[in-house]
Amino acid sequence: MAPRRKAASPEPAKATPVRQSTRKRPAAKIEEPSNEADNDKAAQASPAKRPRGRPTAVSKLQNGASQKKSIYDVPSDDDDAVGVGGSNKDKAETHVGDEEEEAAATTPKRKLKTSASPVKASAGKNITTPSRATRFTNGETPQWRRNDRSARKKSAMALIERVVAGDASDEDEQEELAQEIYNSSQDEDEEEEELEEGVEGKTQEVDESKAAAASPSKKPRGRQKKDKEPKQKGRTCKKSPTPPRDLPPYELYFAQNRPGAAKTSSNTLASLELLTHEEYFSILHQHKEHHAGDIEYLQSWHTENFAQWPLLHKFAKFLYDETPDHESSKIVIINGYVRSTSIREMLGTIASAVEPSHRLPAGNPSVMLESLKALLSSHDINITIIINSIDAVPLRRAGTQTILAQLASHPQIQLICSADTPDFSLLWDSGVRSAFDFVFHDCTTFAPFTVEIDVVDDVHELLGRKARRVGGKEGVTYVLRSLPENAKNLFRLLVTEVLMAIDEEGMSGGENPGVEYRILYNKAVEEFICSSEMAFRTLLKEFHDHQMITSRKDVLGTELLSLPFRREELEAILEDLMA
Amino acid sequence: MADTETLGQVLGDQEHQAAYIFDPAPEAPVSARPAKRGRISKKHAAQSEKPKEKHTHHFQPLLNGLESNECLQLRQDAFLKSWSRVQDRIDGVLRETNQSTLEAVTAFIKECTVEMTDSRIPSALIITGANMASQSLLFEQLSGSLQARAGAKVVLLRSGDASNLKAALRKIILEVVANPSDAGEEQTSLSITMYVHGKRYLNYDLEALRSHLALRPSPHVIVAFQDSEAFETGLLTDLILLFSSWLDRIPFKLLFGVATSVELFQARLLKSTCQLLYGRQFDVEQADTIVEKIFKTAVAHVDAPLRIGPVSLQMVLSRQRDQAAGIPVFVSSLKYAYMCHFYTNPFSILLADNAPQVALQAEHLEVARSLSSFRNHVEASLHGKAVSHVQSLLDDDDYLNRQVQMQLLSSRSWVCRSLRTLQILMCHQGHASKFTQLYVDLLSQGVDGLDQLPDFVNSMRRMDPAEMMSLLNQIVAIIQDGDSNMGLQGCKGESVPSVTLLSGIVTEIQTLCREAEDAGSTLRSEYSGQNKIMRTTVIAQKVQLSHDAATLTPQDKSYTRLVEEAIAHVEALLKCERAEDVWLHEAWLYDFKTPYREVFMPRPRSVVQRALLRPHDYLACSCCNSSKDQIMPTLPATAILYHLYLETGSLINVADLWTAFFGIVSEDEADGLDERTALVMFYRALSEMRVLGFVKPSRKKVDHIAKLAWL
Repeated sequence: MAPRRKAASPEPAKATPVRQSTRKRPAAKIEEPSNEADNDKAAQASPAKRPRGRPTAVSKLQNGASQKKSIYDVPSDDDDAVGVGGSNKDKAETHVGDEEEEAAATTPKRKLKTSASPVKASAGKNITTPSRATRFTNGETPQWRRNDRSARKKSAMALIERVVAGDASDEDEQEELAQEIYNSSQDEDEEEEELEEGVEGKTQEVDESKAAAASPSKKPRGRQKKDKEPKQKGRTCKKSPTPPRDLPPYELYFAQNRPGAAKTSSNTLASLELLTHEEYFSILHQHKEHHAGDIEYLQSWHTENFAQWPLLHKFAKFLYDETPDHESSKIVIINGYVRSTSIREMLGTIASAVEPSHRLPAGNPSVMLESLKALLSSHDINITIIINSIDAVPLRRAGTQTILAQLASHPQIQLICSADTPDFSLLWDSGVRSAFDFVFHDCTTFAPFTVEIDVVDDVHELLGRKARRVGGKEGVTYVLRSLPENAKNLFRLLVTEVLMAIDEEGMSGGENPGVEYRILYNKAVEEFICSSEMAFRTLLKEFHDHQMITSRKDVLGTELLSLPFRREELEAILEDLMA
Repeated sequence: MADTETLGQVLGDQEHQAAYIFDPAPEAPVSARPAKRGRISKKHAAQSEKPKEKHTHHFQPLLNGLESNECLQLRQDAFLKSWSRVQDRIDGVLRETNQSTLEAVTAFIKECTVEMTDSRIPSALIITGANMASQSLLFEQLSGSLQARAGAKVVLLRSGDASNLKAALRKIILEVVANPSDAGEEQTSLSITMYVHGKRYLNYDLEALRSHLALRPSPHVIVAFQDSEAFETGLLTDLILLFSSWLDRIPFKLLFGVATSVELFQARLLKSTCQLLYGRQFDVEQADTIVEKIFKTAVAHVDAPLRIGPVSLQMVLSRQRDQAAGIPVFVSSLKYAYMCHFYTNPFSILLADNAPQVALQAEHLEVARSLSSFRNHVEASLHGKAVSHVQSLLDDDDYLNRQVQMQLLSSRSWVCRSLRTLQILMCHQGHASKFTQLYVDLLSQGVDGLDQLPDFVNSMRRMDPAEMMSLLNQIVAIIQDGDSNMGLQGCKGESVPSVTLLSGIVTEIQTLCREAEDAGSTLRSEYSGQNKIMRTTVIAQKVQLSHDAATLTPQDKSYTRLVEEAIAHVEALLKCERAEDVWLHEAWLYDFKTPYREVFMPRPRSVVQRALLRPHDYLACSCCNSSKDQIMPTLPATAILYHLYLETGSLINVADLWTAFFGIVSEDEADGLDERTALVMFYRALSEMRVLGFVKPSRKKVDHIAKLAWL
């Protein structure tokens, strides 16, 4: 510890990571009061990607172990503290102990040489004040103070503008620089305060242990890995990035959304092979839920309570009250999570439950509702509607909820529904809510959403990968089921062609070889799949919408069609289509 | 388990269609089904098994299942009867409250046919107040009464129904043309919407409406905008313009429900549009007053079989206030309390009409002896040396049975007494609190003399003779006449002494007043403010203030005596113990917090949060419960992720999240998951977090997601 500190203080121009410097500053301060400005400068200079820094012998020695990590050029210096790993495993190793982490923390100097992309360097120059050159010679002039302030102001402005303009990811680097300038000068302010408060007595070790304590992951077990999250923040030591647990939610919101709060590492999932649908389901199939028994017990416990529910639901309008014989009461089940759920379909189904032969006149849902009500009152029947996930996305439209509420308030209708999200009650205004006349029960089941969500696609969409792509064989089968026969035939044709092309040409650069648009069209016409190019394009459009096909142009400009599936998947699809 | 299903199976299944009719007739093997479906079918099975006996008994036998069928039936009938009576009274109140408004509006609509002079549209602006839930009731009543009494065709428009001009017109035309007033032809008129008078019209063409009216003339076509504030201004303007241009052919009238004020309503419209309207303002009784009325007739009423206790009431009332809930919500809260009482309390049979003939079962009596109110009663009796009474209560079932019946009757007199007390307190002018609050306080604390009411005593003392006389007269009137709203009958026979005493005081005060008048002074008591005379003396350039008791005339002195007497008498009247102190209050008092709060004021956020933070609360497993604040690898994946989520900032790096997650679940040597399985769990947990609305995609950085919820 001590040697490192020495290394840091006499050579302030070396880009000391903010985090490190903040930690040590109180101690350094006592020894060399004149150092303050230098340290400030160090903090200041860090965003500029350390163009002038020279590695000291000490740091070089210390850095030997984690040398290879430095090839990662990451603008935020907190990464130094974190130790940017080449892979997740690397990271895990570097965080085995505080000592090693410290070693990692002193590594930045290497970066100066190796990395620092030109963009960033120049960006940094732009932002830092012109008086910088002189600053190092006569560091403590009031002018630099002023300049420093103005830099901070500017970066604050930049941040504000960015927030106002919305997020454009290409500006990220700029933003981070601005953020760093903003933070670093904030740090320096804070340090001044802290000094005044007289924290001098603390040794660095104490500070570090404090930092460790302040980091939110107090759990010893998950600790090493989780440390990364919080410690990415620039000012870990002084202000824990994750505020204390007992903050009320709104305080937490502001604490985490204050400018400069959101600092994360630049690790990506690049090294991780993402799951496919097949792998997901096959593993899930084998996996035994640890809590299966408990969940089942919970389920049965809820089931026992059902006995009381008919009474409590809809207030003593007992399910079988006026109409004891079972025939005159029907149950309609609505699955809100099904993406194609529409209010018309629901009303239609209910109408056919009242009278199987009856067809509601299609039209405006509210008109349909009126005629459904008329139909209900002319029949002596009780309908129980069970809605799975009333708060599912397809049902979230205000109009739908109003219709459901009016339906529920009909005397011949009982409604039982489940809600999955914590904020479901926001769906209803007081009028709708009182029309529903709900009675609530807490039925936490811990049952996973198996049918409600498409896990793999959802996660990939969340990560911004291959959004909307129909997943694997099941996805294709699913889409094709809703398409006409000739679409299926066309897809079969395309799969066959692509498979043949793979056999002939092999894979090129991880992509399937393409089939020429013209050739495919001709074949399609030959097989009477379509008669005009118009129809052909319409069919292709459908595939394209579901991202079941890819198209590209080769060097000559010929349009090539292909499929974004692996060979095995293609074979499985073909098998399925032929069956 | 459900998770063993593959997507393919799921897709092929009828049960995952958007909507279908569940026909349990071919009972599928329940066990083979996945969880979600199993739940539904089990639920249904539970229902379908019962109908045979459930048909007669919806309630479950209590007293450990020993309750006899007669008692069960009685309990159920008692519920149905008592609630239907309460419901009737509430309906009556609701009908009455809006009556004046209804009449006024109807009269306005009728008279406007004549004075429709300068081609402006007659419009009634109905100030409904902010309570949306009660608006619909009012407008339904309005529509009914206008149709019945003015022969009008009424179209109710809600902002949700009419998003644009076409939709609004279509709805208006459809509703008028297919008006249920000619119910027999409903079907046909629906189909001829396009063909009115043999001609084909677009269904948003007012010409269709005109030709329909030519066939079936109607004096008024009334369009009611229920929530006028929620309508787009442009749409409203367009509609008004259109109506005004058709006014010479179609007799349009408008109703606007205004939640704010007429000024604001006017400010939203263009001046030129406003000039097309011939408006009049109508006020509606506000929800608060209606609630209080319902409260008096349904909750506080003497005949209300069930007393709802202070805790429950306080909760209902505060919900009413905090959530701006409507009247229906209040009514259903009451109904829920009734249901819970009759459903869970074996003694509720005592509230049945033929209760005196009911022979309580031995089990009933056994339970009765263990009631806390019974214990209190026994203790009190022992203090009063009524040992034999206690002896018989404990040993003799018949005696206890008789006593219970008697006690029920006396509980009724308790109700009367408490209501009268309440009334007397209410006529005390200075009492700021509302009736409902006073009622709740009375139930929970009771009144024992005026010691608890220093305000009341003080203000009585300070009253001048006129005030005092009117107060005493009011009290006398309350005792003699009762209160019809609450079914409180005049108890002339019972309270004669206090009535004579109080009216005696009144006459005495009157004579004293006259005497004082003759003597040229005003009558006052020694407590009244004016009897202190302030003297200002200047002594050595200092102002000295001193109070002196003014000399009291003999009349004043005797008035003071009368005041003291009156206070003593009133005090005697104001005696009422807490509801919970009455023996056997368990039979007629419902005062629980638990089911109500969960059932009507759910806190889904905290429920979800708890389930994710401490799943063992639900799963009752030992493995996840750690005393220390650490994340157990056995937690459900989503719960682990949620724990990690709580520690993140507003932007979350999924790569780091995954590393942390994997670190936790792979930790356990024996049960640790391998990477791919862990990834599967991670995927599922992450997608569930998304469904729960905790995270959303972020484009700020690669592989990052944004935090959405701060719970």
